[in-house]
Order: sequence, then C-alpha cells, then structure tokens
Amino acid sequence: MGTSRNVERRTILKVAGASAATIGLGATTACGGDSGSGDGTVTLRYAWWGGEPRTIAIKKSIALFEKKYPKIKIKPEFTDYEAFWEKFQTQASGGNPPDVFQNAVGFLRKYDKRGVLMDLKSQADAGNLSLENFRNGVLANGQVDGKQIGIPVGANTMALVIDLKAFKKAGVEAKFGWTWDEYFDALQTIQDKLKIAGDTGYFSIMYLYDLYLRQNGKAFFTDSDLGFTEDDLTQWWEDGYKRVRSGLVADPKKIEQVKPKSGLSAGLAASEFTWDNFSIRYEGEGESDYGLAPIPTTDGKETGQYLGSLMMSAFSGTKHPKEVAQFISFMVHDPEVGKIMGYDRGILATTEQYDAFKPTDANNKGVAAYEDEVAKAGVLGKITPHPSGADVIEAAFLRIGGEVAQGKTKPADAAKALFSEAKAAFAG
Amino acid sequence: MTLVKEAPVRPAGKRSAAPAAGRRGRRRENLAGYLFMSPWIAGFLLLTAGPMIASLYYAFTSYNLFTPPQWVGLDNFTTMFQDPRWQKSVEVTLKYVVVATPLKLLLALGVALLLAQKRRGQGLYRAAFYMPSLIGASVSVGFVWRALFSDDAVVDRTQKIFGVDVGGWIGNPDYVLYSLVALSIWQFGAPMVIFLAGLKQVPQELYEAAEVDGAGPLRRFWNITLPMISPVLFFNVLLESIHAFQVFGSAYVVSDTRCGPADATLVYTCYLYQKGFKEAQMGFASAMAWTLVIAVALVTAVLFWSQKKWVHYEEAAK
Repeated sequence: MGTSRNVERRTILKVAGASAATIGLGATTACGGDSGSGDGTVTLRYAWWGGEPRTIAIKKSIALFEKKYPKIKIKPEFTDYEAFWEKFQTQASGGNPPDVFQNAVGFLRKYDKRGVLMDLKSQADAGNLSLENFRNGVLANGQVDGKQIGIPVGANTMALVIDLKAFKKAGVEAKFGWTWDEYFDALQTIQDKLKIAGDTGYFSIMYLYDLYLRQNGKAFFTDSDLGFTEDDLTQWWEDGYKRVRSGLVADPKKIEQVKPKSGLSAGLAASEFTWDNFSIRYEGEGESDYGLAPIPTTDGKETGQYLGSLMMSAFSGTKHPKEVAQFISFMVHDPEVGKIMGYDRGILATTEQYDAFKPTDANNKGVAAYEDEVAKAGVLGKITPHPSGADVIEAAFLRIGGEVAQGKTKPADAAKALFSEAKAAFAG
Repeated sequence: MTLVKEAPVRPAGKRSAAPAAGRRGRRRENLAGYLFMSPWIAGFLLLTAGPMIASLYYAFTSYNLFTPPQWVGLDNFTTMFQDPRWQKSVEVTLKYVVVATPLKLLLALGVALLLAQKRRGQGLYRAAFYMPSLIGASVSVGFVWRALFSDDAVVDRTQKIFGVDVGGWIGNPDYVLYSLVALSIWQFGAPMVIFLAGLKQVPQELYEAAEVDGAGPLRRFWNITLPMISPVLFFNVLLESIHAFQVFGSAYVVSDTRCGPADATLVYTCYLYQKGFKEAQMGFASAMAWTLVIAVALVTAVLFWSQKKWVHYEEAAK
C-alpha cells in the first residue's frame, strides 16, 4: 500500500469512529419512543385515519386540548384507512402502538383478544373520563364482554345516497318502508328513462348484506362465526350478478377505474349504499345534487339498521393512562371540539357536542335529519361487536363480490370461497 | 502472488525482520478493511441474514405477530399448495414473467442496436432512453400508469381511433396485467445499457469479413452480433427474469392496493404482502417467501444449465 504506519493507525481510528457513530445514531433513533420529560410534561401519540378535512379539524382540537392541559402534548399520526391498520398491526405486535387511536367495531374483538386495548372503565371510575351523556345508547358500541374498550366519537348508520336530479327526472320516489322489489323497480325505471345504471354495486358491501340478513332474522356475524349459510350468500350474489348483466347495476369495470371517486358521483349510477356521513363527500366530488334515502326493507318496516360508530381507544400498555383518559374525555365531551369536528365522524355522540354543533349546510343538516328520522321510526337494532377476523372477512367479501360482478367467479363458488376464507380468518 | 514469491526467500527456522513487518502491515491492512466493512457487515447480519433465518423458522410455524409462533411442521406449505388464491398468484406471476421479460429484452436490444451506431446527440438519446428506469420504480409512476390506462384516458382514446374499445385496461381483469407488462417494458434502460456495452465489444473485423463474403445486415446480426453478445444476453435474461418474479410495487399501486380487479394482478409478492401484513399470517407469508426463493433458484439453475447450448464464450479471450 505504501502508507506509513501512522496513517494506517489513523485510518483505523477513523473507521472505528465512523462505525461507532453509526451505532450511536441507531441508539438515538431507538430513544425516540420516550414520552416523558424532566418538567413533568407528558407526550401522547394519537393516531387516526381519514381525509384532509378530518386531519385539519383534529389538529385544531388538539391545539385546544394542549392549551387547556399544558402538561400534556399530543403527537399526531395519520394515514388513510388501509395504511392505518397495516401500520397499527405492526406497531401493536412490537408493543409500540399509539397511546390513543381511532377504532371501529370490526377491530374491537381482534385487538382485545391480543391484549392491546385498555379497559377504560377503571379510568372512568377514577374520574378521569366521563361515560355520561352519550346519545341513543351508542356507548354500548365500545363494549366487549363487559369491558369499555372504545369510546364513540360519532354515530352513523347505513343509508342509500341518491342522485336527486336523476331520481326526479325518472319520476321515482324513495319512500320510507319501501321494499327491495320496489327499489329494483325504481332502478329499472331509471335505466329505461335515463339510460344509466341504478346502483353502483350493492351486493359486495358487507354492511348492507348485514342489514338484509337482519331484516330476515339473521345477521352477518354471530359472536364467533358467520350468521348465514352458503346458500343464502349464493342467492344474494346470483341476484346481484343478474342485475349487473341486465345493466341495472353499473359495469364493475367502469366502477373500478373511477376510484377513489365513487361510481355515484362519477355519474355511472343513480344511487349507492354507504354510511350516511360519507354522503357529505359526494357533493364535492360530483356534479349533481345528492340526498339520503331510506334502506329498502323486506317486510315494509324493518330496515335492520343500527348505529355504528367510530371510537377512540387506548393502548393497554400506555405509560400515561390518566392523561390518555383525560384526552379522550376532552375529545368526546368538549363542546368546542364538537363545533370543530362537525359530522365528519358521524353525528356527534355526546349531548354536549351534539347541542353545540348546529349544522348550517344542507348536507350536514340532511345527515342529522336522516338519523333523527331513523331513530324516530324505532327500527334501530343493537350492534354486536364483530368477532376477531371480521376485518379480513370484510375485505374478502368486497373482493369476492367484485369477482362475481366481473363474471370471473360463479356465485356458488364465490360463496364457498368466502366461507373457506372466513374459517381461516377466524382461526388467525 | 506476493505470498508465493516471498516463501522461498524466507530462511528456514529463522525469521527475518522484513517479512514479519510485512505481515503485521498486512494484518493492519486487513483490520482496516474489516473495520471499513463493519457497518455493512453489521447491516447484513442484522437486516438481511438475521431476518432470513427467522423467516425460515417462521415458515414452519403459525405466527400472527401477537402470540408466540407455534410449530406446525409443513402445514403452511400444504395449505399453500391447496389455496386457490396462491395458485392464482403463481399463474399470474408466471404469465407476467413469460410475457414481460422477453418483450423488455427485445426492446432493449432493438434500441441498443440503434444507439450503438455513431450519430450526433448520441449521449442525449442514451440518457433519454435510460431515464424511465431511474424513475420507473416510484409510486408516482404507478399512479400515472393508472391514469393512462383508465377508462376514457389516453390509451383508451387512442385505441378507439383504431376501432378497439375495451373501456380502459385498469378495470378489466382480462387486460390489467398487460398494463403492468407495458410498465415493465417501458423501463428497458438497464438491460439496454448492458447490451450497448456488449455490442461495443464485438470486433469490427468480423463484420468487415462478413461483408466481404456478401452477408446482409440480417445475416450479420444473426451470425455475428447475436453469438458475440450471447453472454450479455444470458446475463440480462437471468437478471430480468429474477426481477420479474419479484414484481410488487407496480401491481400494488396500479391496482389500488388490492391486486385486482378479480385478483387479475395478484402477483406472488402481492399475495405474500396481503397474507403477512393485512391478514397477519406471518408463518404462511414466510413459507411463501421461501417457496419463491427456491423457485427462483431453480429457474436460475435451469438457465445456467441451458447456457451451454446457446451462450458463446470466446475461447481465446484474454
């Protein structure tokens, strides 16, 4: 090499230094999880999924909270729905989930079974969290086996969002208590008169099939299994595929390509089943006017509906259970937060927030009126926490329903596939 | 080399000072070398070798990330072979490899032949053709591709001019995979550069001699160019096939994270990802990963075996 010994020694030292620095860097990163500090300030990680308007509103609410509780800092983490649960799963399995996070009914049992969720009852008993003033019994949505593992922030229910102009032009009316036959007749009229499909693809939506099953005395899930038979589902998908072929339901190939826009706001169909609070986005997306219509029924009365909700849950292993409870309590009860959040996550769950927010635009008003009407009709059933594996089954239902719609799988084979995948999901 | 030279000089039973100092120097040099390499070695052990060994173990367990892995023997493999979605993913991947790899190499070779000729602005052309390979793997290109091949978008409209109406490739299970193939072909830059290097090595005398003998351009290509660049062709076939087996990003983005519609773009790694990260079946996913490793190794072995028949190495190479 022709270098002197001194240089070599220096080289070695430098290399050693660089290596040590690399390792040191790793160590610094590893320290990032520390959430306490010398002056008694506590930092909590709060994670949610959703679009930009939700993120802006939540950040405003956080600022309000930090002002009121100067010793607690909130570190926000947010992504879209799919990415949220993938990330959460990895974080939770590594024992490092966020202290507080958004949750939904399909995930409660799953993460309760894995010991990730904190029973917030003890914090309520300690006076750090109020479980009072929840509307229409929605607090029960966060209860599993006697534990309170989720605190609802809003309530929503399934609805039929319709293109008001299309319905009017075709001269069809969506009435409360209408039957499925009447609904499909209406779609036929729309197709005949306006030459567009009536529906965007109802039969792949797990939550709608759940309502249909409830109308017939069953449900999608029991406590630990599916609540229907392969024959039930074969029939449901056979009818659905028939309607795709006749053009009553929009061409799935087209629906697929307008995503993330919905088939309804893209003008491919005149109606779509979805959660009522989702309807707010259609106005911005599409060119028509949109309104909420009742769920069709089997007997002219029961819609099978219930109030679902988004919730806030806490990590069972958090170092700051008291602060976590204070934060959740603030977010679900504070009237100012209610005003900021509006109906983005469903109709506000507590009376304090519900009374504080007075919707001024037609969409928010429409959602409120719709839920009022559903509640008054006295048709609301009870929601049951889904068994562990429900999230995987919901994705499979959407995917396999899509294969049926595309004509790639026969309904009977599709039903068989769903049951086989469900079995694996429950076991996982 | 120096070792062999030094050995006979050293007097038996007695060590001279000079070689001893040399050995110490070498040892220092080696030590410095290892120290320089240590971040890489640490990274390799921690981030590659460790996880690989762990995943080999997990392949024989049922592991949902939360509860400790349970040994299940070959269960994951037997379930996997019977799983219709796994079979579908193998089918989709093979289709992709078989269609995308040759087309990509054909285009790469074609363009390389054009760019091998001397002309003005050669560097610019080369850079322009290589560019897609630099950005091709990015997520944003996946989105652009989705937009290009959707209903009523550029590709669809162009097709309609020629009277072909499929209503966009992205939503159509029969076509969507070919949009991924197109994306792969578009990134032909890397094999093109390698072909270019190969073409430059072909001795001009051969072409001159062939021309004297009256061989036309096609014959010259077939009898001189192709045999002469066959080692480079072999290298490209090998590399591109391995890459094609591992396709993930484009399938995941173009099909809006679901590898569909109707599982039409459910390439192997996409299903592996779904099993591991969406369904938390890490044991199954590990079994899938190792099956892929073995499959790719087999394909590589077959390619190496076949090269005796078609790859021409110059005997007299210096």
